[in-house]
Amino acid sequence: MTENKESMGKLWASRIKVLLISGVLASIANMIYEWRTHAATIHMPWEVFPALLYMFIIVVVSCLIHDLVAKLLPVKVPVILYVALITTILSFPFAGWFAETMKTEFAKIGLLPLCTPILAYAGISAGKDLDTFKEQGVAIVCTALVAFIGTYIGSAIIAEIVLRLSHVI
Amino acid sequence: MKDFKENFNLKDWKVHVLCLVIMVIAELIGTQKIGISGPGGGGISFSLLPMLFAIIIGIILGGAKKIKRETMETASPYIGISVMFLVVKLSCSIGPAWKSIVAAGPALILQEFGNLGTILLSMPLAVLVFRMGRASIGAAFSISREPSIAIVAEKYGLDGPEGSGVMGAYVTGTVLGTVFYGILASIFVGAKLFHPYSLAMAAGMGSASMLTAALAPLVDAYPDMAEEIQAFASTSNTLTNADGLYMSLLIGLPMTEWLYRKFSKNHPQKGIKPVEAAEDIVVEKEDI
Repeated sequence: MTENKESMGKLWASRIKVLLISGVLASIANMIYEWRTHAATIHMPWEVFPALLYMFIIVVVSCLIHDLVAKLLPVKVPVILYVALITTILSFPFAGWFAETMKTEFAKIGLLPLCTPILAYAGISAGKDLDTFKEQGVAIVCTALVAFIGTYIGSAIIAEIVLRLSHVI
Repeated sequence: MKDFKENFNLKDWKVHVLCLVIMVIAELIGTQKIGISGPGGGGISFSLLPMLFAIIIGIILGGAKKIKRETMETASPYIGISVMFLVVKLSCSIGPAWKSIVAAGPALILQEFGNLGTILLSMPLAVLVFRMGRASIGAAFSISREPSIAIVAEKYGLDGPEGSGVMGAYVTGTVLGTVFYGILASIFVGAKLFHPYSLAMAAGMGSASMLTAALAPLVDAYPDMAEEIQAFASTSNTLTNADGLYMSLLIGLPMTEWLYRKFSKNHPQKGIKPVEAAEDIVVEKEDI
């Protein structure tokens, strides 16, 4: 495992660039998705621009806070935790205009097409581990897959029991 | 600022164009239902969503050596960046659904312990069946994403058997994890054993791309409940992001060590042969 030391400038360059590009990609995926699933309205890429712009601003602010906190305090928290927390706060009814705008604008871009470019990048990069993966024995691959099943089923069982006991479902 | 200007360019345009092409093909293929009929009329069925085709196409191209290694490495940190839009989209459902979240609060918090389910299922397999030795500990204590590698590196070092275990499971997850979760979740959605809310919480298990894959079939099957489903999955994922590392470090790993001592006492271990290529693996810190 080699350590990936990057300067802040380089990190920010790829952050901004990839956010802009994957935003455009997502808007195209969204259009194809709506067209393919015969959605009531098909949003052209520029129609989801406001949604992507708000998302972009939230992400950039979160990254700034993350970098600042990482510099000042000895805590290691992933960026997406900040993104999640800031968005959550803004989405509460008390955030008024923000919450309203987010709700109407973000509805124009579907969850599923938003995922496609991410997993396309993941697919492109997964190839780099393919050779190492082929060298793994059956034992480790099975153990890993069973571990994946374990966390999914474990969480689902506990959630189901507690939700039923607390009469939520 | 100088660094920023030097790196803010489109020298890596090939990655993005490739991503666009794969994405468009995947979206055009659309959702495909696949059924495997078993004996006695039973069987399982699942859907493959466009996002899974996107990752499958990438892996096939990579396997066929159609993508340069450099391109693959360039694309790797981009996963962690592009996923942030998705996190915004998911989290914005939390506020409007806050009443349901509070009502489901105990379930959301307690299901976090479900992440320890990995250990209960995979430890017996690794130690009793495969006799993997201490590599079991690395491979079985978590779903082996980036934070787990950091934990193993710090506690045991990555050169030892525990390191081989976690790295082996990590590459398995990178190559197979997303597609595996996509299919697994799709089967569970179809089986209707669990309420969609429970499956939504289960989907938020720590890795962003695995969350995506596990959540998608649920949203696809229950469009009317999409808002609540997203809110629960997102809350669960946020909780895991916050507590996952500590859960693994303080509960998961000691539990795994304890089980290892119990199981290996009467079962001699063979161990696994270390894989040299593990040194080539670059782990992105952003993609946590």
